[in-house]
Amino acid sequence: MRKTILIPTDFTVKSLNVLKTILVNSQNTDTFNILLVHGISLNDSIRDLLFYSKSEQIESLTNPEFQEACEVIKNKFGQQIASLRIDLFSGYNLAAFENYLEGNKVDAIFTCERKSLLINKNSFDLSQFIDKCSVKVTRINSGLNTSIPEKGKIAEVFINQVSMG
Amino acid sequence: MQIKRSSRTALLFLIPFLVVILLFSLFIYFSVSNYSENYLFKLLEARANKVARENIDNNLLDSNSLSNQEKEDKLPHEKDYFIPINKELNITAEAKKVGINESFFTDAVNKGSAEFVTKQYLYKGIRYKSKSGDFIVITAAENYFEINQAKNLINTLLFAMGIASLILLYIAFYFSKNIFKPISSITEKVKEISSENLHLRLNENNSNDELNQLTMTFNNMLDRIETSFETQNNFISNASHELRTPLTAIIGEADVVLSKPRQAEDYVESLKIVLQEAEKLDNKTKALLFLAQTGFNGKAQKFDKVRIDQLLWDVKENLENMNSKNKIFLDMELLPDNPMKLKVNGNTQLLHLAFSNIISNGCKYSDFNTVTVSIGASDDFVYIVIKDTGIGIPKDEIQYIYDPFFRASNTKNYEGYGIGLPLTRNIIRMHNGKILVNSIQGQGTTVQITLPTWKPERV
Repeated sequence: MRKTILIPTDFTVKSLNVLKTILVNSQNTDTFNILLVHGISLNDSIRDLLFYSKSEQIESLTNPEFQEACEVIKNKFGQQIASLRIDLFSGYNLAAFENYLEGNKVDAIFTCERKSLLINKNSFDLSQFIDKCSVKVTRINSGLNTSIPEKGKIAEVFINQVSMG
Repeated sequence: MQIKRSSRTALLFLIPFLVVILLFSLFIYFSVSNYSENYLFKLLEARANKVARENIDNNLLDSNSLSNQEKEDKLPHEKDYFIPINKELNITAEAKKVGINESFFTDAVNKGSAEFVTKQYLYKGIRYKSKSGDFIVITAAENYFEINQAKNLINTLLFAMGIASLILLYIAFYFSKNIFKPISSITEKVKEISSENLHLRLNENNSNDELNQLTMTFNNMLDRIETSFETQNNFISNASHELRTPLTAIIGEADVVLSKPRQAEDYVESLKIVLQEAEKLDNKTKALLFLAQTGFNGKAQKFDKVRIDQLLWDVKENLENMNSKNKIFLDMELLPDNPMKLKVNGNTQLLHLAFSNIISNGCKYSDFNTVTVSIGASDDFVYIVIKDTGIGIPKDEIQYIYDPFFRASNTKNYEGYGIGLPLTRNIIRMHNGKILVNSIQGQGTTVQITLPTWKPERV
């Protein structure tokens, strides 16, 4: 069965643990279209909007650790991942978010309880929409938020064991 | 005495420029002097025509009418000669009288004009046709340029040349010094490195220029030297320790058995033990010999395709055989489906040694708690993450962990030489990989090793 799932991300390796948990706990027969979405508002300046490129913005937000971790997961769960896409959501209200979900045919949202990091000054927390939206939301216990030696490094995606909740 | 390269470069820079400036000055001098001479000759010719007309033609009519105006028009130190051309003309005598050579007169007679230059005077002669017959009219004037301006021009040019060479000298030395500055700094740094501090490295920057390549080459060389140095050290200490253990057992057993007469079964029993230990010894010697033959005999290390998961299973088995208390968990959760992604270009023995070092350290410093070894791969790299829950490394000591023989302050209760980690790092470096150690004291240590995936085109 193919499903499209949406996972809010803040471009930290840690946020990929949600994805890993889903894939580990799903059946082998399931395949997923994965949307890693980050909430970021568009700039108001018309000049900036004229030269706006989504891929460039994503490029500036990601870091090599995150991309490598994505690749590691893709290599492991190649059969289950039909597609993995990083996207930006820049709507202002719930209706826009609902529209986005409908447009991308999102079947389920998975989010972790941890508050996501706002890495850019224009970033905003998607949870305000996720809480109220009509699509089924699954919360995943992000585990202990203690300081661990491998914080921020790619090793995080190997180590953290997260329970489905 | 050998001139330093920097001054040689400065000199090489300086000489062509000085030659160019010299040629330039000569060109200026000669063109200016030539121009002023030509100009004067033209003036003289005009004067000659004029004075001839006035003096020869007007002489017949009115000798004094124009003498006033003539005075004003005169060139500085002008002298005029009028020599009639007739049968009585004696060129030799006239030449002596005027003070110039004879060919001047023949030229003037035959070609119609002649020029002559002395240091003081310029002479211009023309053949002038008048009603009363032909004349040679010679006008001479002071060589104005030679007398008044030449010296000044030469002085100016010499002065400019002097100033230019001073500036050039400064620029040349400044540049040559700056060009060779990084090289001198490399020399200084390399001089510092001796067999006692082989862990020192030259500073690399990210640019791709020749100097950085030189630095990187030096660093690579130092890596190799350091690795072989430390491998040797490690090898000797490990080898002697490993060989002594079975020997002690054999000696002890034999001592005990020989201390008094015993039953035949006892002898059999103890001989069995001796045999067992001797076999162990044999195995170890064989292994050491193998290690010495394959890795460290000074020949090029053979790099092959190595499957990391297989290697880690071997390491795990090996370590658990060596000490049954070692508990190693191989976490295959992120193992990629495609086995090609797990292959790295490397030397099995060296990688085995490197991972054994890290994992056995993990076991040792966590008092034989489980050590988790996870494997994963992206498209370009294989990641191996080794996590233990041991004593960790104090935060302010983590920068020294790669120094050989450094041991953290909380390792007093554990055996070790402080060689393992630097050795491992060098092995990983030889494989173009990266090693990253993160630790929190009291909580544990995570070692992340990144190795580039084997690529077919690199073979």
